[in-house]
Amino acid sequence: MLELRGVSKRFLGIAAVDNVSFSARPGEVTGYLGPNGSTGLIEATSGQVFFEGAPIQRDLIAYKQRLGYVPEEPHLYAHLTGLEYLVMVGQLRGVSRAAAAKRIDGLLRLFALHGDRHVPISSYSKGMRQKVLLSAALLHNPDLILLDEPFSGLDVGSALILRSLIQELAARRKVVLFSSHELETVERVCSRVVILHRGKIVADDSIERLRALMALPTLEEIFSQLAVEQDTAAISREIADLIQS
Amino acid sequence: MAKLQFRVLYREFLFRMVDLELLSVQGDMNKLLGQFAAVLVLVSIGQALHVVSVLDSASHMPRAELLIRAWPVEHSLVTMTMLVVGLFAVLSWDSIFPSRRDVLVLAPLPIRARTFFLAKVAASATALSVTVAALNALPGFVLPVALAPPDNGGLLNLILSLVSLRSFAAHWITVLAAGAFVFCCVLGVQGLAAQLLPRRRFLRVSAFLQMAAFSLFLSLYLLEPSMTTPKALAAPENQRLLACLPSYWFLGLFQLLNGSMHPALAPPAHRALGGLAVAVFAAATAFLLSYFRTLRRIVEEPDILPGARRASWLPRFGRPLETAVVQFSIRMLLRSRQHRVILAFYWGIGFAIVILLAKTRFAQQAPQVNVSMLVSSIVMLCVAVLGTRVVFSMPLELRANWIFRMAPVRGGPEFLAATRRSLFVLAVIPVWAASATLFLSVWPWRSAIGHLIVLGLLAIIFADLCLLGFRKIPFTCSYLPGKSYAHMAIWAFVVLQILLSIGAEYERRALENPAAYVALLFILCAAACGIRWRASALANKPESELQFDEEPAPALQGLGLRRDGILPLS
Repeated sequence: MLELRGVSKRFLGIAAVDNVSFSARPGEVTGYLGPNGSTGLIEATSGQVFFEGAPIQRDLIAYKQRLGYVPEEPHLYAHLTGLEYLVMVGQLRGVSRAAAAKRIDGLLRLFALHGDRHVPISSYSKGMRQKVLLSAALLHNPDLILLDEPFSGLDVGSALILRSLIQELAARRKVVLFSSHELETVERVCSRVVILHRGKIVADDSIERLRALMALPTLEEIFSQLAVEQDTAAISREIADLIQS
Repeated sequence: MAKLQFRVLYREFLFRMVDLELLSVQGDMNKLLGQFAAVLVLVSIGQALHVVSVLDSASHMPRAELLIRAWPVEHSLVTMTMLVVGLFAVLSWDSIFPSRRDVLVLAPLPIRARTFFLAKVAASATALSVTVAALNALPGFVLPVALAPPDNGGLLNLILSLVSLRSFAAHWITVLAAGAFVFCCVLGVQGLAAQLLPRRRFLRVSAFLQMAAFSLFLSLYLLEPSMTTPKALAAPENQRLLACLPSYWFLGLFQLLNGSMHPALAPPAHRALGGLAVAVFAAATAFLLSYFRTLRRIVEEPDILPGARRASWLPRFGRPLETAVVQFSIRMLLRSRQHRVILAFYWGIGFAIVILLAKTRFAQQAPQVNVSMLVSSIVMLCVAVLGTRVVFSMPLELRANWIFRMAPVRGGPEFLAATRRSLFVLAVIPVWAASATLFLSVWPWRSAIGHLIVLGLLAIIFADLCLLGFRKIPFTCSYLPGKSYAHMAIWAFVVLQILLSIGAEYERRALENPAAYVALLFILCAAACGIRWRASALANKPESELQFDEEPAPALQGLGLRRDGILPLS
């Protein structure tokens, strides 16, 4: 289980997350709607992150060993080919040669990248880069998977595969933390959702319970009510008026 | 609108000599440019001293003789200008023509291709002029004064005399024309290749052309024969060679403009004018065509050709982490043109020293163990290690380094070992293997093996010295210009050269005396162990975490507000 206890992160004095506590359990996909990056990738200003009961800072290396991470921006070494990049990640993660070769070959085939494995990443489309990131995150069979906008750039078929994959990974007792701005996808994929507003948690429950509690039919409406202060329709009208003036 | 766009683009192109993504958080582009200018001015001072030393002793001569005496001086100024402009053209290879980034960023904007083109031309011309001006800043004033006939009216009269002013104009027009000729030749060749080849093929060929141009400029500078006497210039056997050496064309052009034409220099002068016209026309045509014909192709075609599987295979280099870092380093270095050029610059310096040594003695002494060859191999080792260490510090795709930050590795010692191995694979082994081939083929095997052992130990010492306090994975840490003191490195290298000569002389004697040789090995082994111990101790310190930014972001971040950031009071 991944657990955040009173975590705050401030940038130049401005709180991105403020005294946030929640947990993500194995077997469920936890949706996270808010600023991210405080789960071990950058140091928290205060508070602690626990994985399986132990603070991750106690042995950050062991934590990273069990973590699979898909960042929002697909920053990759574009001079390498897709295959070379994955081999390098396997070596950095200490995956045995035989296991890495088998998994890389399989992932490249299943993500339909096998034909382009010797092509430099610089020639890849955004969707192909995203598939490389996903493959790199899953290569070492992690127990905790952090997905930050993982559907970005994927074609419809690949997006459907990824949606099933996330649920399949959760079913295999992995801890999956899924951050996205696509509320419909979050609603379909996640069993629980954590919503942050102004750095503080405003909701942390299963989507069904939130729907029932707030008597609202969709996650989008729940999110709008909890975390959107502006009158979105009025602002959009104002923008349209402004460009016509 | 177009004028404003021109100004904005001009500024953008002019200051994008170095990819800004390389820079550290605290990186200051001005420091880097300042350092570059300092190196040029240092060369300029050296050139001015050379002018004074040669022409001062000839000041009593009749003017006709003095002008002939000045040929080698003017020729060396022209040659140096052509070399520096050539290297500048090689370094700015990618920024001369529109890049994919330029097109992707600017294509959606309402900018005419003409404005884009003119801004690029103006930026290149400015950079070129500033380079030539910095290089000739001192000799460009000293030479005309030295060439003027003696005047009793004082220094000011001498400086302002018509003869001096004409020499002054002749010199500056000559060096600018020589620089423009070299730059236009590079542009012409690059533009022609861009027009004739498909874009992706061109990009691959372009990398080879760049290295070929670099080698050509350096070889011409170092190997060009000296023919700066009337007799040598008039000799029939030299005429074919003179027709191929542009530096002599521009020496002729200087005499033509200076009004001091010697009959032997008339044909080269005409070649200079013809060559310049052809180069400018070819460059202008290629440049225009590339802007108006290939812009669309840049967007439509990806920049890199798929590689063949066999070409990408690399052996294992020990444990998985070491293998990952070494393979990563090799691939990055082989595929990044910018890093290759910088490394080639260091190798070029090494070859220059070796060629100078070869010109002096070692060709005659090659069959025997001699100091020149010993120094040559050690110098090549030093520049290869130093150059590789420098390019390791320069990042590539900096934002992609998150994968190393995420790696479950404790850092310090493991990565130091991996980086050391990369340095050995990329710098030490090639030089050592080339030295082994050379020495085993020309020297008695005992002496050759004796020196190769010494060279191996020196490699260990020098590689570990270079990695003292180095807490980075190659190509993954941001770069902070202004830390290398490149202008001071020249003097350090001169001192090192003297020390190397003394050390090599000691080694030569030791190779003939077993007891002295054992003592030498003992000293080197002790030094190697000491430095290795020091490097490991530094890497094992708890605070020596891996570094991904040359200078981390400060705890207090200044907002850099200036006048326009002042809040209005009312």
